[in-house]
Amino acid sequence: MNTIGDESTLAGRIADYLAQQVGAAVRVGAIRRFPVGFSWLTFSVPVTGLPGAEGTQELILRLGPDYGLFAPYSAGPQVQAMRSLEGSAVPLPRAYWSSDDPAILGAPFLFCEKAPGEAVVPWVSANQAGLEEGYRRRLAEQFVDVLAALHRVPWQDKPIATMAHGITPANAARVNVEHWETQIQRWAMRPHPLAEWGIRWLKAHCPTAPHVAIVHGDYRTGNFLEQDGRITSILDWELVHLGDPHEDLGWASLPMYMGGSKLISRLAEPDWFYARYSEKIGFEVSMASVRYYQALSLLKLAATHMAAARCFEEGRFNDLRMPAMGSQIAACLRQMEKTIEAAS
Amino acid sequence: MNNSFARLIDGMCATLRGEVLSRLDDEFARGQVFGVINLLNTFKVRADWSTNFLLAQVDAQRQAFAAIDALLQQRGTTAAPALPAGEVPRPVTPAELAALRDDGNRAFGDLLAWLEAQRETLAPALVADVEQLARACMRTELDLELKYASRPMFAEMSSGTETQAKP
Repeated sequence: MNTIGDESTLAGRIADYLAQQVGAAVRVGAIRRFPVGFSWLTFSVPVTGLPGAEGTQELILRLGPDYGLFAPYSAGPQVQAMRSLEGSAVPLPRAYWSSDDPAILGAPFLFCEKAPGEAVVPWVSANQAGLEEGYRRRLAEQFVDVLAALHRVPWQDKPIATMAHGITPANAARVNVEHWETQIQRWAMRPHPLAEWGIRWLKAHCPTAPHVAIVHGDYRTGNFLEQDGRITSILDWELVHLGDPHEDLGWASLPMYMGGSKLISRLAEPDWFYARYSEKIGFEVSMASVRYYQALSLLKLAATHMAAARCFEEGRFNDLRMPAMGSQIAACLRQMEKTIEAAS
Repeated sequence: MNNSFARLIDGMCATLRGEVLSRLDDEFARGQVFGVINLLNTFKVRADWSTNFLLAQVDAQRQAFAAIDALLQQRGTTAAPALPAGEVPRPVTPAELAALRDDGNRAFGDLLAWLEAQRETLAPALVADVEQLARACMRTELDLELKYASRPMFAEMSSGTETQAKP
């Protein structure tokens, strides 16, 4: 059920909430929903009257609707991650206000700063020209360096430590596999024996993590903004968790994000990517772990597509991108099997 | 309906692209239209007209032919042309086939669980051979899924803009 209402209703609720937060009347202009994101809803919200802001300030509002893919949502993990990374070498928008109380805006939400720049699309055809060489290299260097910086953050004394739940280098992979196994049990509308086979393989081959790090969970082209060749912000912290840093390497290097090229996330030659990451992070990347997490990432992607298909089937929403996503389960599982085959 | 299913899909996609997207500014709405185009292209390779109304039409014909044949025989006419006769064969419905496939996949899942439980007692070569056969079939199922799928349009759906050659 949609408890958020239309955009003018939402604008009114936002104005009331922000006025309470800042202790002054604010005016909210026409809000605009972005087509990006397949789970949380993302809006641009022009607000006038915020203390310290001259004129109108654009805020980003992220809403986790009760009909969304991984509902019920909480803004907590994203906010904890963003607060834990303030002052680090990871560029990200500043988190302002958030709440999980659906009485306020109809769903859990997070307001954050609108960072400058544009997203680089990961999905392009093989015959489309690649990125300009100098621009690509500049982005690739930052893409690796920011990831290493994220994985180096000492999180134990930061807000995100509340998400640790007893995770250790030894159990990080197994905890992760079991999480996605549960998601598949929740969302699959029919048996997927190859997914079951993949889960068995993943459980039997869990690597030990070099250390437990903050893992973005969806680190790839499309989830950062760039301006004039400079990465201005890492976005979409919805899947953030603590785990093996190799997980982000596996996800970023999925073939789905290569855009028909042989470059990781359309940016980096694989050998160079892993070598530079090793140098920046201070441990040698384990290619066995990368392949393991590529296989797990493909299972995770298949689970996401299963969720999309089920949510649409149950009439939780009519977003027509969801059944289109749901048609990609086979592609993910087939690729997962190939990856495991190569890793065995 | 006198047009072919596939041609209608092509026409709908062309209209959405040429007549709707060209007049639509909102990015999210454009993403939805690309979602529709993506699904229509999937229907084109997976679907066709329902057989129910064709079955009803053929049933009606067969009943009429049977009645005509009975009438001609009753009146002693033997030189009439041969008419189609007999029960119309009932095709298996897609829902029945999907249930059969799902039963099969459930059986593969049970088989994998059994193999794992018996790994200590069964000969390793036997376990490997059974698993290979099962996986080969699972792969075939996925390959068929992929063969009957349209090109995903994630770029268009998440940006609201045309990014590559039209399918």
